[in-house]
Amino acid sequence: MATITTVVRGRPSTRSSVWRRRLLIGVVALYVGLLIVAPLVALVRGAFLEGAAAMWQVINQPGVWRAFWQTLQIGVVVVVVHTVFGTAVAWVFVRDDFRGKWLLNAIMDLPFAVSPVVVGYMLILIFGRRGLLAPLLAAWDIQVVFALPGMVLATLFVTMPFMVRVLVPVLEAFDVRQEQAAATLGAGGWFTFRRVTFPALRWGFVYGITLTFARALGEFGAVLVVGGGIQGRTETVPIYIFRALDERMYTGAYSAALLLGLFSILLILGTDWLRRRRQE
Amino acid sequence: MRNDTRLIGARNGRAVLLLATLLLFLLAACGGADTGGDKPVTLILAGYTTPREAYREIIPLFQAHWKEQTGQEVVFEESYLASGAQSRAVLEGFEADIVALSLEADVTRLVDAGLITHDWKSVGGDGMVSDSVVVFGVRSGNPLGITDWHDLARPGVEVLTPNPKTSGGAMWNILALYGAARRGFVDGVPANDEAAAAAFLRDVLKNVSVMDKGARESITNYEQGVGDVIITYENEILVGQQAGHDYEMVIPRSSILIENPVAVVDSYVDKHGSREVAEAFVQFLFSKEAQEVFARHGLRAVNDEVAAATATQYPPLADLFTIDYFGGWREATPTIFGDNGIYTTVFANLNVPTP
Amino acid sequence: MASMTTPATTPRIPWARLGIRGMALSYLFIMLIIPISVIFWDGFSEGMVTLWQEVTKPIAWSALKLTLWTSAVMAIINGVMGLLTAFVLVRYTFPGKTTLNAIIDLPLAIPTLVTGLMLVALYGPQQVLGQWILEHFGQRIIFAPPGIVLALLFVTFPFVVRSVQPVLLDLDQAQEDAAATLAATSWMIFHRITFPAIRLPLLSGMLLSFARAIGEFGAIVIVAGNIPFRSQTAAVYVYGEVESENRLGASAMSVAMMLIAFSVVALVGYLERRGRRG
Repeated sequence: MATITTVVRGRPSTRSSVWRRRLLIGVVALYVGLLIVAPLVALVRGAFLEGAAAMWQVINQPGVWRAFWQTLQIGVVVVVVHTVFGTAVAWVFVRDDFRGKWLLNAIMDLPFAVSPVVVGYMLILIFGRRGLLAPLLAAWDIQVVFALPGMVLATLFVTMPFMVRVLVPVLEAFDVRQEQAAATLGAGGWFTFRRVTFPALRWGFVYGITLTFARALGEFGAVLVVGGGIQGRTETVPIYIFRALDERMYTGAYSAALLLGLFSILLILGTDWLRRRRQE
Repeated sequence: MRNDTRLIGARNGRAVLLLATLLLFLLAACGGADTGGDKPVTLILAGYTTPREAYREIIPLFQAHWKEQTGQEVVFEESYLASGAQSRAVLEGFEADIVALSLEADVTRLVDAGLITHDWKSVGGDGMVSDSVVVFGVRSGNPLGITDWHDLARPGVEVLTPNPKTSGGAMWNILALYGAARRGFVDGVPANDEAAAAAFLRDVLKNVSVMDKGARESITNYEQGVGDVIITYENEILVGQQAGHDYEMVIPRSSILIENPVAVVDSYVDKHGSREVAEAFVQFLFSKEAQEVFARHGLRAVNDEVAAATATQYPPLADLFTIDYFGGWREATPTIFGDNGIYTTVFANLNVPTP
Repeated sequence: MASMTTPATTPRIPWARLGIRGMALSYLFIMLIIPISVIFWDGFSEGMVTLWQEVTKPIAWSALKLTLWTSAVMAIINGVMGLLTAFVLVRYTFPGKTTLNAIIDLPLAIPTLVTGLMLVALYGPQQVLGQWILEHFGQRIIFAPPGIVLALLFVTFPFVVRSVQPVLLDLDQAQEDAAATLAATSWMIFHRITFPAIRLPLLSGMLLSFARAIGEFGAIVIVAGNIPFRSQTAAVYVYGEVESENRLGASAMSVAMMLIAFSVVALVGYLERRGRRG
């Protein structure tokens, strides 16, 4: 691992290689600066335009907190479901074999290609008042669309590929002989998983959870269509941002976006910090 | 080896634990739902995007009014989406007690689906709670000298209007534009010449640079400095000016009268047992008190008394036509916006190269 | 792939294996297959011919073409710049490297709607940067196709970097060093040793971002301008069809978008398998 961060060893650093290094770093810095950092700076500036007090004032309202609470609830449920089932799927993709597996593997990324609006619309086709399951839902008096369950389902669909796509390569790289050795030594399946497989997948999990959670927090189109954006009931933070923009509450919109981004940024930075601490 | 594994396992557990604690902490911090109080009644209002400022003011008035009359608290849950989207959401199971939409066609859809069974057009005159007209917004000082429809077709004038596929407001805009041309109120377009009116529609559409999802997004985009002229509701301009923006309003000689319907959704109020208070709210919207609020927020009042009192604020137009000019919504929707409708055809033949 | 799936690698108890398989399959079935089938079923409900007609309607066709070419341009830029970013992150040390590494994932954390707004606030025709580009290059960024590419680049930035980075990390530096000792030029080293190793992850990252780009809506609807035939993408078109109750048009276009994404992903899978065998 130590070799990773070191500069090209054993190669004479000629003048041209120094310049190339500077050039490449410069190009990347410029690119990331213009594409990613500049918009983020604009966001921060937008949030602080009227000062931190104004920011706190717009954020500290029951409706806004409820939106945050709702968004976090959805995020946590989605992360838990994808962690449990995503692991199973990744395991099946790498270790199991059956007919039609390649097809499953190929449709795994489709949720990315489906427009979020269609995801919401599709859920309405299934669970709506005139949907496929309408009689069933009416009989049991379950409300899926325009309520939390529908919003969770929409977010689950949209964030589906992350966990599996992160875990599969890690699982492939993981030496199966370790598992076999454990099994030979008489370890049970669960024990092997907990003590051998899981630790090896750890960073895969942490990264997968981070991505899933971040994406879940930010989902807008699907959740709006399926939730209806009712203030105080089905309003998530992105939907609040959308409403705040419409109502010209720019400080509110930008502050909420910043705070939402901050959750994810903390998660990402925290992951990174843990990983580095472990390397040291 | 075994030791090593356990060590990794323990550290790993800590990482996950840390993550889980962080999440739980966040949840706990934002939790604390507040419930309590005795049996207030809840009303769900599904509105279109533009009159929200007015409703925000009317709702407390009604809450006080209802409390005074019955002693009961009313809690409101509000949702504001584009009129069509809202109407479809209600159709698909968004159990709103009251719908306040941009155009009649969106209420008709609920009537056709059997969700609204009463004669909603008999409430408060014709079921229309507020009026407005299609106008233009221009930059402060009107630098391009925009005076009427024909100026929008001038080459180089950048026009904003939302997308009629997603916005009720945009449908009104297109109808106003095309209607004014067909009625002979656009310089250079003879009256009742459908081909010439369509050609004029094409010339204006050529100048459109951004089509937003809804009327409100369109005007907030204009406020960011995009475009020279915006076609929009009169109330959108007035509300924007109240919010401190310095664009100016230009009222064309000829335009369409926008009529916004409101209705109680029978199926859902019966399910919620909220019919009485929902009907009272709709009645209240037609009262002098509520109509004054609408008038303050840029909408033309339907109450004669309020309309007369605010007449100076809302000047009459030389030629104001209604949707009936196009045979009502049932006819206008397919003939203008359908697959072979005038708007769709004009757009298909536009073929503008990328600027 | 086939070699990795030897039965010996799985738990010895068959029911555990079947249990996991059953769990995975039912999850995929409920969460993925049913919803996708509903769209397909809806799109094909009037038959193939109608579906084809819906997709090839001039307005729909031009939206699809715009989506495909902007996504392709994005994938190429993302491939080059993502590779470069990963390379710089892995091979060089410089001040701010940790920050740069942490920034890579941020685009995922920002709601796409906010992304769109930020881009307009920076590159919009009335903003300093946008104005400058318009004056010096005569090209509009926002409310034109370049804005779409820009939004897509932002949204998909992590995909290529994160696919290439781990492979670059694992790549045996000794090989490169050996080549360098043999007086190979750096371009030769890259061309002969580094590139072959990262070719597949690079391609997979590019195609993943391409698939993600096809469906992107939130950011694009704000930056694109959405004028039919000029700046309306397929996802925005679908939104319009959903809103104006042309259910068939919406489903048909969604089916087309999914089929394209599916072929792209299947192609990556095929290349990967072939690459392993070869």
